[in-house]
Amino acid sequence: MTASTVRFSKGLCVPMLWVPMLVAAVLMMAGASAAAFADEWGTIKGTFVFGGDAPLAVELKADKDIEVCGKHKLQNEELVVGADKGVANVVVFVRDKGIKVHPDLAASAKSEKVVLNNAGCRFEPHVAFVQVGQQLIIKNSDAIGHNSNVATIKNPPSNNLIPSGGESALTFASEEAIPAQVTCNIHPWMKSWLLVRPNPYGAVSKADGTFEIKSVPAGEIELQFWHEKAGYIGEVTVGGKAEKIAKGRKKVKVAGGDNDLGEMVLDANLFKK
Amino acid sequence: MHVLTTPPFAGTDRGQQLFQAHYGGVWRAFTLVFALAFTLGCGATPPAYFRLNMVEATKQHLTTQQEEQVSTVLLAMFGTPDEPATLPEMGLDAAKLKLAAGPVRSDIVGRKNGLYREHCAHCHGITGDGLGPTSAFLNPYPRDYRPGVFKFKSTERADKPTHADLLRILHNGIAGTSMPSFALLSAAKIDALAEYVKYLSMRGETELSLMRAFFELDDDAAGKLPQTREFLVTETLAVAAAKWQGASAAQIAVPPMPADIELVDSIAKGRALFYGEKANCVKCHGVTGLGDGQANDYDDWNKAIVEADKEVAGGERRAQEAQTSGMSPDELKEHREQIAWLEKFTRVLDGDALKPRTIPPRNLRQGVYRGGRRPLDLYYRIHAGINGAPMPAGKGTIPPEDIWHIVNYIRSLPYEFDGELGADRPLVARDRF
Repeated sequence: MTASTVRFSKGLCVPMLWVPMLVAAVLMMAGASAAAFADEWGTIKGTFVFGGDAPLAVELKADKDIEVCGKHKLQNEELVVGADKGVANVVVFVRDKGIKVHPDLAASAKSEKVVLNNAGCRFEPHVAFVQVGQQLIIKNSDAIGHNSNVATIKNPPSNNLIPSGGESALTFASEEAIPAQVTCNIHPWMKSWLLVRPNPYGAVSKADGTFEIKSVPAGEIELQFWHEKAGYIGEVTVGGKAEKIAKGRKKVKVAGGDNDLGEMVLDANLFKK
Repeated sequence: MHVLTTPPFAGTDRGQQLFQAHYGGVWRAFTLVFALAFTLGCGATPPAYFRLNMVEATKQHLTTQQEEQVSTVLLAMFGTPDEPATLPEMGLDAAKLKLAAGPVRSDIVGRKNGLYREHCAHCHGITGDGLGPTSAFLNPYPRDYRPGVFKFKSTERADKPTHADLLRILHNGIAGTSMPSFALLSAAKIDALAEYVKYLSMRGETELSLMRAFFELDDDAAGKLPQTREFLVTETLAVAAAKWQGASAAQIAVPPMPADIELVDSIAKGRALFYGEKANCVKCHGVTGLGDGQANDYDDWNKAIVEADKEVAGGERRAQEAQTSGMSPDELKEHREQIAWLEKFTRVLDGDALKPRTIPPRNLRQGVYRGGRRPLDLYYRIHAGINGAPMPAGKGTIPPEDIWHIVNYIRSLPYEFDGELGADRPLVARDRF
């Protein structure tokens, strides 16, 4: 497709017959490559490791509803580094538009619900991943009332009261280019993020820094790495070699079976803000 | 065309923003004086231009070429403040816009034109960015229409106000703020101004979407937005416009106030809800209802500037800490680009943003309600919350009859007396010292 548009924009003379032939050829090629990988699905895995001395956890002080929130040990969760220096809450998703979805996952947006819980005066999980059309249930298992201010940009933002034991269901009609912030206006220290993608190919790294995206169609895809403090992660070091990845985008060739990206070291400087 | 892009802002201090906001720096002032010198005596006014949303452009790391791309698209779609253009997708009435746009003048039959500049621009700015010359003096600041977020309306939280909502605000003004009533203007003029506010807002939203779209481009797009009708109109402009057109269908259905309960009982129920864990009003509006429960929150407009300020401060700290001696040529180049960007952002925030202010929850003892004092207005606020502000929506949590009880309690608050005589008396200046 690109070839034909380039020719046009440069104003070169293209015989009329060429155009449909070119388009047809491109379409056939696309069909062929899709057919070659039709039955192969791979799992993308990896681990994010903090490059530098693990930062100390910063305690937060509850200044609202102290009788309830004061009991919980609250921490600043902007950067969570585990015992093995694993970086938690790194967002990874497949950027490619219109990517083929594995038949087993095709119904996941309809059948599974994502829960974001107000628990212990914090959000659980800290970063939630929801698909377009999938239900997000915002719950409150605390003894006090909360509100959840969902600052989506492409989807209508919302800010519903979530009383103790209550819940609010949200769905999103379009994807978000960056994770949207979810906050509680009553308890200003409460912050979390919501990743909204059009397919199931997204993940958030766990406490040990590992992530896994299952059943990705084989072939070349583009991954996006994001972290709330680092923003788009512009550099990863794999096997001692630093690799600049513009805008946090990394092209990956997916083969059938496991595709381990290995230990990706994220330099401490990326998180300085 | 040069005026469409950023003028080099001269000031660096927020104290100068007043001047900056109106004249856009020495550069703009110079052009203005020059243009005036040429046109004075001919009865013509120098042409006016929309200002680019420089805070967003800088936040998105747009290059000058990319800023120009946005300017060009916006110019083609929306025209200029003197000659507004419309596309059918906007669903706007060109005749009304014509009445509101342009310099203040009278047409051949003596009808006043240029209503926006006569009545609105000194606070809301020519661009509708809330950066008119008086803006820095006002508290709260005048509304910046560009994000398309409006507080006082009859629709659900994220929805646009209806045309009637805008007319009501123009007609009544906003109590407790600097927004006056324009009830002395004819209905046709108020109507034209409401249409023009929608036009400015749609333009601002389109600008924001265009600026945010650069990041999502694939690498092979070479930093250029697709120049296709599908992207520019269908996926960008029409999306913003459709929300405005759908506003009247999004109106909140309000059941009548329960009639089978004495007012005093309704107030008592409302009071219990106000202090209760479900409605939780007390957390922000305070145990006294004086609006002192939550003093350090921001509305969305101010929060954006607070966050930009933080980003700049953090970036400057990192740039200072960076060791340039050990850097490779590539790293050094990146470091210099980062410093240039920080300098630009600092300049932009000095000239194109007002100093952020916190948003206090409403003091409910005063009986002054910005979105209107009708029971219905208070119902809307509690049901839908306030868009752009921390106030959450009670919808789905508080049943309609309970919302009415809260409305009744709120309306009783300015007259509620519960304590020592004199303790509730407002402090006058001499008593404070």
